[in-house]
Amino acid sequence: MAEATMTTTPSAVAGREGSDVLLDVRNVTQEFVLRNHGGVKGGILRAVSDVSFQMRHGETLGVVGETGSGKSTLARSVLQAPPPKAGEVIFRGKDLTKLHRKELLAMRQHVQMVFQDPPASLDPKWKVTQIVEEPLLAFGYGDRAKRRARVAELLELVGLDPRLHGGRKARELSGGQCQRVAIARAIALHPELIVCDEAVSSLDVLVQAQVLNLFERLRAELGLSYLFIAHDLALVKQVSDRVLVLYLGKLCELGPADDMFKAPAHPYTLALLASVPSPDPNAGRPETNRVISGELPSPLNPPSGCRFRTRCPRAEERCAAEEPQLRFVGPGHQVACHFPLVETPVAAPTTNGTGRL
Amino acid sequence: MAVLPSDPIAAGQLGALIPPPMARRRRASWVRSLDVYIPGGFLLLLVLACFVWPVVYPVPQPVGGSILDASLGIGAPGHLLGTDTVGNDILARLLYGGRVSFEVAAATQVVGGVVGTMIGIVSTYLGGIAEAVVMRLLDVLLAIPAFILALTLLEGLGQGELNIIWALSIFFIPAFARLARAATLSLKEQTFVVAAHLTGTKRWRSIMRHIVPNVAPGLLTFALLNAGVAIIIEATLSFFGYGIPPPGPSWGNMIADGQQVMSTQPRLILVPSILLLVTVIALNTLGDGLRARWGVQ
Repeated sequence: MAEATMTTTPSAVAGREGSDVLLDVRNVTQEFVLRNHGGVKGGILRAVSDVSFQMRHGETLGVVGETGSGKSTLARSVLQAPPPKAGEVIFRGKDLTKLHRKELLAMRQHVQMVFQDPPASLDPKWKVTQIVEEPLLAFGYGDRAKRRARVAELLELVGLDPRLHGGRKARELSGGQCQRVAIARAIALHPELIVCDEAVSSLDVLVQAQVLNLFERLRAELGLSYLFIAHDLALVKQVSDRVLVLYLGKLCELGPADDMFKAPAHPYTLALLASVPSPDPNAGRPETNRVISGELPSPLNPPSGCRFRTRCPRAEERCAAEEPQLRFVGPGHQVACHFPLVETPVAAPTTNGTGRL
Repeated sequence: MAVLPSDPIAAGQLGALIPPPMARRRRASWVRSLDVYIPGGFLLLLVLACFVWPVVYPVPQPVGGSILDASLGIGAPGHLLGTDTVGNDILARLLYGGRVSFEVAAATQVVGGVVGTMIGIVSTYLGGIAEAVVMRLLDVLLAIPAFILALTLLEGLGQGELNIIWALSIFFIPAFARLARAATLSLKEQTFVVAAHLTGTKRWRSIMRHIVPNVAPGLLTFALLNAGVAIIIEATLSFFGYGIPPPGPSWGNMIADGQQVMSTQPRLILVPSILLLVTVIALNTLGDGLRARWGVQ
């Protein structure tokens, strides 16, 4: 998947700012104020803290982490729904966090989202054709006949029959079909980036494979980039060029998928990998010291220093006192850990000295 | 089981004992629909009687009866249900009075429902200061007892059907607004509404195309329940002399007039009271039935 990254995608041809960076997320922090009964402040939940990453045109970036690690919040922050409390989201050269409502609305045609629960993401009162037509109407695409033709074209593109499925409502479709409709809606306006928030998690394995194939085909045909959120590591490994690991809203590790799965640098990444069941009966049980135990600590009161230290087998005193900063352990491979599993410090980062890609 | 399915006798016996599930389900659904069909049909007949009967089949005028015809019994020639103490035909007064009741019920629910619903949905969807201000204002309206509010408004506006409609519409606005707000609050977080927003749909369009259609069934059943309340309040207002000015017909007026001769001619008070009661029960039953059918909480 990685080789398609920079070459022929239509969006990359435009070459804005002479770079192929599509999305630049800088120090994004998202907080929610919890309120008790009567509106009394109950505490601040920091769902995402100080996360930075970049995405190139045509790239698929996987985001993994446990439930509650802030994956979906990060995705929503990128889409400004709701906007993050701090940080910048630079997409197509514009900082989305500083755009006015109308400008932001206009940007929405370039970035679309596919949701976790397919039937819930479709209005129960609408027909499939209306649902797919919605973005076309929102951006004033052609006249009625032109929109109809485009809807039919889109439905065929995602493998649905416009005449058979077009008149149905969400409850008359299977989960996989619903997700195809949602994908048709997402690609209707030729977006450059699609955020997939657990887009295949609720589908059964066979349908999952079909939808993943559809994603891959659309990427090749339309030059899409995906921000692909999932908790299934095997899935992320299969689709991603690079992977970002989140723990309690903090970025743990970010690097090329192949490197990371071969040689994870963060103990948490290793633990996640160890938790993937192996289909090989001779592989034996996973080493118990690699599998972490316990629950995710409360994000209302995160541990000091490194947030993973309470569950980390390698934790030492330094981890509680000092918060680990991101550093490079390989080309394009960053980790935030005092004692990374891969100890091959690179002399200088590949592009610039600011610790960015 | 010792009985093989291929055994014709055993199969026949089994068939006699256990009706086929399909047939049973069909009958059950037909029976279950009665809670909608019976009150719905009754109300339809009543509305047709009130609005169509006096047009196609002549009935005496509801006002200006001759005192010579006063207090005729049921079945008197030309007066199917007899006449009241001033000689007006009771059936005609019931039908014309029913017109007032249904007009008030429908108009208050349409005006109060549309205005209240839009206030509730729009303020909740937009959120922020608009939401806070609107909701506190509605709290104030809700805090005033309904009947006092209606009386005060009518005191200012004066008697008459149109004024009753305005007064009661204002009374129903906060109830609709609060219900619409509750429904909108949960809908706003639904994925498909978020999806519409992220897909570039403008807020106004989202409200009209996503929120309103999904809120509508709940509000429609609510309006049916409220319609019964509106009819009762109209009758009560008329009873107290704030409603339809006498001698104009209204179920409330008829009950008020009949009260004076309750011991000698009880039917003058019984007939309109029973009709009022049955109409309100029918409206409530229809509302409940539709609510169950549409799966509205």
